[in-house]
Amino acid sequence: MPNIKLQSSDGEIYNVDVEIAKCSVTIKTMLEDLGMDEDEEEVVPLPNVNSAILKKVIQWATYHKDDPPPPEDDENKEKRTDDISSWDADFLKVDQGTLFELILAANYLDIKGLLDVTCKTVANMIKGKTPEEIRKTFNIKNDFSAAEEEQVRKENEWCEEK
Amino acid sequence: MDVEDTGLMITELPPPPLPRLRPRYGSGAVLHQPHLNLPPSSQPLASQVPLSSSPSPPPLHTTHVSYLYPEILALIFSYLEVRDKGRAAQVCTAWRDASYHKSVWRGVEAKLHLRRSNTALFSSLVKRGIRRVQVLSLYRGLRDVVLGVPNLESLNLSGCYNVTDIALASAFLTDVSHLTKLDLSLCKQVTDNSLGRIAQYLKNLEVLELGGCCNITNTGLLLIAWGLKNLKRLNLRSCRHISNQGISHLAGLNRETADGNLALEYLGLQDCQRLTDEALKHVSAGLCRLKSINLSFCINITDSGLKYLAKMPCLRDLNLRSCDNVSDIGMAYLAEGGSAISSLDVSFCDKIGDQALVHVSQGLFNLKSLSMSACQISDEGVCKLATTLVDLETLNIGQCARVTDRGLVTIAESLVHLRCIDLYGCTNISPAGLEKIMKLPQLSTLNLGLWHIR
Repeated sequence: MPNIKLQSSDGEIYNVDVEIAKCSVTIKTMLEDLGMDEDEEEVVPLPNVNSAILKKVIQWATYHKDDPPPPEDDENKEKRTDDISSWDADFLKVDQGTLFELILAANYLDIKGLLDVTCKTVANMIKGKTPEEIRKTFNIKNDFSAAEEEQVRKENEWCEEK
Repeated sequence: MDVEDTGLMITELPPPPLPRLRPRYGSGAVLHQPHLNLPPSSQPLASQVPLSSSPSPPPLHTTHVSYLYPEILALIFSYLEVRDKGRAAQVCTAWRDASYHKSVWRGVEAKLHLRRSNTALFSSLVKRGIRRVQVLSLYRGLRDVVLGVPNLESLNLSGCYNVTDIALASAFLTDVSHLTKLDLSLCKQVTDNSLGRIAQYLKNLEVLELGGCCNITNTGLLLIAWGLKNLKRLNLRSCRHISNQGISHLAGLNRETADGNLALEYLGLQDCQRLTDEALKHVSAGLCRLKSINLSFCINITDSGLKYLAKMPCLRDLNLRSCDNVSDIGMAYLAEGGSAISSLDVSFCDKIGDQALVHVSQGLFNLKSLSMSACQISDEGVCKLATTLVDLETLNIGQCARVTDRGLVTIAESLVHLRCIDLYGCTNISPAGLEKIMKLPQLSTLNLGLWHIR
């Protein structure tokens, strides 16, 4: 299997199987558009991903290399968050900062499977909490004025109906 | 994008010098083809951060949730159930704005108690792209919903017992052209007057649920037949006043007054006890696109009526549950008439027995689902069925006490495509027979009563 070199924002170089790297649509498109030769010693710079995160992303992509392509989003289908595999769940036992950086990396690299599972993980952290509990969980400041807060409460009261 | 631009994300030390490796693609901007719509990558990342949500500056060494773009927040919120979406909106202004993205609320039906005027609510529904409203209780303001959500697609008032003609009249004052689905199930005060208004102003209605609206008469059906040309689904369950004449209106057989609802694909006539075979004659003559009809508890339907249904080219789904006057002969009419139905329910029809299964086997070759619970059938009929209609996927023969292990063995040997079987209350079968059934390769549901076994 041919390899390519990926370079993180902080200059680390990772040798990665091309097929694994191509789970990133960003990298795949680039290789196709620019006709990257397989035997070249050159590197693909990924200025938005640091080495710690890039390492995690490669780890994820390697484990999932034989997965079927993720299904297209079906508008009518109820979105689920309870279908995270146990491997992914273990993989995502990381601090919040790392989780958010993985989301940003998955978004930048356009890896739908990783973006979905990381977003689901954050969704699961929100579920069942009150707004105040959510703020505490993520260290978010309540920046509503009193009037705004009253209005947004009224606009969303109905969401509590079963 | 320069390394400095991404500084906020970097948790590692600065990069080591890079000998002899020249980045081939310059700034990397061409690499940036994000999954979501992000601002142009030439902008420094920091400027994309919704500053308003930043708490007192986030700790330096960890990436704070406020670094997630609104589009990513919206993707996260799209995974939440409605209650949690609403709570996320109340966290901070950035989350409110991200959570009001239309993608977050796709397909959501707002469930509202209409008490006092709350115009801000309706405009926030519009902003979120919500076009479906279920009214849980109604004290006032049905009109506010229709005016406040001008793109309203679906309005569900089922079970709002106090909905009156007056309330509906105040809500439907002019064309409500986006509304395609109206559910008035169990709005028992609704009369033909409201149907007149609906026929006049809700011209694009495709689904109309009137189950349990027991004041509706043939006049109401005439109004529906006059105005609602796009109607695909009409449910008239327990509208006990309606008779054959009303059905002839729907079927467009009185053209001088009404064109009829010729696009109808589903007609629910459950428990409309005044209907007789003549109603089915009208249905067959006019409603050529009908795919599904529910006639359960229509006790005046007899075998002869099924002759008309047998000729309907699009009919796939026929429900005759508890039609006491349908017998084996009716099944013969269906089969001989060349019916292409794929789903048939004759459960609780006392006069259906093994002979019916002979007819079904000899003519209803498209059948995928057959329900005969509590019919007078035995192993003999079941064996005949199982050895001929081998494509059957669903077979419900609960409470058929004359079915024994012999029938089950034949089912297990022949119906290899079977997915679901109901054997609840089959008192003469044994675990040995069930064991055979459970070996069916496609079986996903075996019902034996109050529990389901996988």
